[in-house]
Amino acid sequence: MARRQAGWIALFLLPTVALFLAIYAVPLGITLFTSLFDYRLFPRRMDFVGFGNYVSLFTQDTQFHRALLNNLAWILLHTTVHIAIGAILALALYKKPRGWKAVRVIYMVPSIISNAAVAMIFANIYNPAYGVLNSFLRGMGLAELQRNWLYDPATSFLSVTMIWTLFSGYNTTLILSQALSLDDSVIEAAKVDGASRLQQDFLIVLPLVKPMIATTMIMAATYMLQMFDLIYLTTRGGPGVTTTNLPLLLYKTAMTENNYGYANTIGVVIILLGVVFMTLINRVLRTREG
Amino acid sequence: MTDNTSGRRQDSGPKDRRPFYAKLPAYLYMLVCALVALFPILWVIMSSFKTNAQILTSAITLPTQISFEGYSMALQVSPILRYFFNSVAIALISTFLNVFLVSMAAYAFARTRFRLKGLLFSILAMAMVIPVTALMQPVYQVITALGLSDSLPGLILVYMALNMPLTLLIMRATFEGVPRSLEEAAYIDGAGFMHTYLKVMLPVAKGGLASAAVLAFLNAWNEFTFALVLTKSADVRTLPLSLSYFTSQFSFNYTALFAAITMAVLPSILVFAVFQEQVSQSLVVGAVKG
Repeated sequence: MARRQAGWIALFLLPTVALFLAIYAVPLGITLFTSLFDYRLFPRRMDFVGFGNYVSLFTQDTQFHRALLNNLAWILLHTTVHIAIGAILALALYKKPRGWKAVRVIYMVPSIISNAAVAMIFANIYNPAYGVLNSFLRGMGLAELQRNWLYDPATSFLSVTMIWTLFSGYNTTLILSQALSLDDSVIEAAKVDGASRLQQDFLIVLPLVKPMIATTMIMAATYMLQMFDLIYLTTRGGPGVTTTNLPLLLYKTAMTENNYGYANTIGVVIILLGVVFMTLINRVLRTREG
Repeated sequence: MTDNTSGRRQDSGPKDRRPFYAKLPAYLYMLVCALVALFPILWVIMSSFKTNAQILTSAITLPTQISFEGYSMALQVSPILRYFFNSVAIALISTFLNVFLVSMAAYAFARTRFRLKGLLFSILAMAMVIPVTALMQPVYQVITALGLSDSLPGLILVYMALNMPLTLLIMRATFEGVPRSLEEAAYIDGAGFMHTYLKVMLPVAKGGLASAAVLAFLNAWNEFTFALVLTKSADVRTLPLSLSYFTSQFSFNYTALFAAITMAVLPSILVFAVFQEQVSQSLVVGAVKG
């Protein structure tokens, strides 16, 4: 029986293994390997530089420093503020107040449409000539506050941040699903003990949905580590490097400067950061469950 | 969408019996979240019916008359339907192939025994933690080496791979949850490996297949970064990628720009409105298994 199966098993595994090799394993190998080279295609060059790319990145490259800092700041904001906004809505919805289903669906809409569309919408909202933000300020008699929100170095970082921070629909959906699956008796018992609604929400329900919050935080961190489209389509990382993060810097280094070895060194940094964040959030939030 | 929420609310879940004023903060928060989610999209849809002059002079007011001129102009300037069908084709084909092929591997991992199974699975699951954006340059190299750059099959291959880890985890868990007696009965009846898989296992794994397919479709439908890196020509452009050309294509024709964005966004919203229960459930399955 087992012997006859061997061929089938190999056949069943083959497509997935091939896919893994082509799109994950080989590119990962190329990334790690070429990060040790001054590697370009036009003109073709492949000179071994050891850890030279890494040394340049961390000691000299101020663009990289800013991109790393932006990336870390965005990950921090996304795993805290963004998740909190969604978690609070989940706490407001789990007792099924009137209209809870409608709000859950409506709040998901910005998360379901493509990031490219969201970016285009916000590029228009922030547009200095006809954007709704400046029009609103003019209407309120606050014309002096008008700006070119995305291209003014003083506001570009915050303006880009707002494009993704408020829309926490995925997190609400995930946390709400766990809150709804909780045993009613736990909350009823707390009520009998005289716990107020706020106490029930934050002392009873919130700790019970912590595993799902940990999951959403990991997803938020890896999502923001790889954020590309929303920035590329609004500011291209500018003005200057005020809204550049690591994927944007990688893209620019590889696609416009054709400096592949250096670009892939940035890739290695992104991969390492991913591993660090996953283990960190897992340690902090999951092991305490006991 | 179809179930009777008011009937259900009576008998399930903890009910909030506090007076209305005590619930007010929660209702206000729900209202703000709903408005924040809807406002940007409604503003774009509203603007698509205005004239250019109206957009520039009064960004917030309602259109004075409904004009579909923007839509006809948008369709003349940009072949949005072409991009739409490219996106539909890529998303459907990559989803089908991903779910079909990766489920086979998931079945092998869930139900058969072979040497180094644990190790192979850990290696494949590693794809889950690799931030693929970090690999954009070598993925471009691999796709070019395969002769698939700037082509729909190239994008399909990459999208199949991007969704591989999640489908693998969802489907392995699904197959593990199927009672062994079903398979044993099939073998006793003389069914072979392939027959048992196709006729006995796949039908009972429908729930997992649906979740994996929904997630794979959404990811492929909305993907931007690899579409940008791997394609050049307009014939293979996807809908999200086409959005990045709107600003220059519709320079100063704001009505058409807003109409184009509306056309790019509405299909996603309509499909989500119909399938929102299935989408939400798939997201939960993906987060828990992934």
